[in-house]
Amino acid sequence: MRQLLKTTGAAAVVALGAAGALSSAHAAGKAVTVTGEIMDTWCYFSGVMGGPEATLGAAHHTCAMWCAAGGVPVGLRTDEGEVYMVLQMENVSMADGSEAVLEVQSDMITASGMAYERDGLNYIVIEKVVENMGITNLSHEEYGLTPGFAIPKGAKKRILGQ
Amino acid sequence: MRQAIKQTVIAAVSALAFVAVGSVAAQAAESQAKSWNLIDEEKARFEGTVVDVMCELTGDCVESCGGGTRYLGILRADGELVLANKNGQPNFAGPVVDLLPYCGKTVEVDGLFAPAGAGRLYQVQFIREASQEEFSKANKYNKSFNARFPEAAKKKGPWFRKHPTINALIERDGYLGLGHAADKEFLEWFE
Repeated sequence: MRQLLKTTGAAAVVALGAAGALSSAHAAGKAVTVTGEIMDTWCYFSGVMGGPEATLGAAHHTCAMWCAAGGVPVGLRTDEGEVYMVLQMENVSMADGSEAVLEVQSDMITASGMAYERDGLNYIVIEKVVENMGITNLSHEEYGLTPGFAIPKGAKKRILGQ
Repeated sequence: MRQAIKQTVIAAVSALAFVAVGSVAAQAAESQAKSWNLIDEEKARFEGTVVDVMCELTGDCVESCGGGTRYLGILRADGELVLANKNGQPNFAGPVVDLLPYCGKTVEVDGLFAPAGAGRLYQVQFIREASQEEFSKANKYNKSFNARFPEAAKKKGPWFRKHPTINALIERDGYLGLGHAADKEFLEWFE
């Protein structure tokens, strides 16, 4: 009986250990090629700037650069509305808002890489930007500027030649 | 027998729901976070370990959580990886600078959850190491900006108006990113 208990106990420990190893293992990535807009995840999801559509494209371009520079996670939103948190883009890390990160804000890109899902969020490590179509979402025609102060008063006067 | 199983299942589900609701209520009740009137925001104070999200997801790990180059998260004891998305400043600043000193450490954070698709994002407003008495405000971005861009720091105005790379890109592509003619055309119509 003691032997049986010992064997059962050992089996339980092995099973628990295996379960622990599985739970701490890294998520399995999936190779993907996706097309979508590089965007600002905070303004898009939180609603601080109004509806999500107003925080995409040209209307939100300057603000997207501000947030990316500040270290707010940059996303890639597909036409189907799926958002990937971009962890890396062609070996460039994203959080310090380097020039390479700022350059692509609001651009529509096709990218290949590895996708991960964890706790309801999608993440992507972009290995290659296959195509960059530039800014194709002319959201300013519908939403104006978000936020409205993206262009300072002095710059507005200068642009308008006043 | 079938009835007994049904009742047991219902009791178990109810108990789990009670624990889950109780846990959410507890983390909200203890929170000192300020409302930002976010869509379906939820105040939440909880403990976890500060982790490099890239390392946690892919196994590609570097020293010191990337030293500010990588997004950071808070790994809770229940296994949830909480993506830290924003700090407590109302000026476009993320949370990386605030969390970085705690890389690999157990912390308690206080802030707001906001829904994000099937998941959720977290705005860190306060943070303390598990052993510390006082919380620190998650508002360190400006200091970090000034250290990184000392020439810009000398100028007046908020950091986002002084960022040299952003200003160079605006100079090249305009505020809409479509060129200066597009800015002019838009303002003539909009203003």
